[in-house]
Amino acid sequence: MKIGKTKTVDAYIPTASMADIAFLLIVFFMITTVFQVDKTSLTLPRSNVRSEVVKGSAFIVVTEGGFLKVSDGKEDTHPIDQSDVLSFAVDLMSKNPEQPIVLKVDQNVKWHTVDQILDQLGQAHAKNLQFLTDLKIRQEKFE
Amino acid sequence: MKLVKKKENPEIPTASMADIAFLLIVFFMLTTVISATKGIEHQLPQQDKKTQENIEKEDSVYIKVNADNTFTVDKEPPASIDAVGMLHDYLYPKLSNNWKKPIIIYVNPEAKYESMVAVLDVVKQLESQLMKEKNIPNLTITIPTQAEAETWGYQ
Repeated sequence: MKIGKTKTVDAYIPTASMADIAFLLIVFFMITTVFQVDKTSLTLPRSNVRSEVVKGSAFIVVTEGGFLKVSDGKEDTHPIDQSDVLSFAVDLMSKNPEQPIVLKVDQNVKWHTVDQILDQLGQAHAKNLQFLTDLKIRQEKFE
Repeated sequence: MKLVKKKENPEIPTASMADIAFLLIVFFMLTTVISATKGIEHQLPQQDKKTQENIEKEDSVYIKVNADNTFTVDKEPPASIDAVGMLHDYLYPKLSNNWKKPIIIYVNPEAKYESMVAVLDVVKQLESQLMKEKNIPNLTITIPTQAEAETWGYQ
């Protein structure tokens, strides 16, 4: 019996699904993208209790050297003088009295710097505050 | 001479679709920051509240964060901030009996910010534990500023 010649199949990479995969990735990145108002890198203190920062929160950043930066939650952070926090906070509260404020402070900053900020925030009648932290590896279980 | 018209099928060119898609991917990949921004929530006291009472040091749980990385609670001897977990054992029986007892965290101006966060973290953990176990609402946690502490006679 004569066996017919085997047909040679051209090798190719199927690219039909390429666009689908690409769009899937786009959707993923679009959903996960957060345009951060502050990109200052500093060492945050660690804690076990952490809750998500509310979108649009105002930021007050204090670096290890004691330099201050602020953002109203819409624009990028800009440097500010320590004595100007009050006017910044008053301005924020006049727009939205419930405006959450995030304190992003380096772990080595001395308390008196934070204390002065809290004092000014209190004078401006700020209510909702959040101390930004990194996750602590749990050593002791309380539950 | 007879001309034969070629019939062309209408179509949308999709060859560049993948290019556009990948361009968008690159954009989102570069701008994405996958860093969960989380922190400890804290409510600042409302100064205009008419019901605000002056709390005596003795009626509250008074935690003092010292400049030398130690803390004291009420009249207990100072302990290292690394052993802040023991604060939980001290506070748990007190607050499960009387959750309305105010907690005052006084921080020395020279103390590190991380020491305060460590103490506040333990108190907040206790708060969520009490909420789970006994359905106790939020605890009263106050972090007086230097000016307030001086007015109230704390330190």
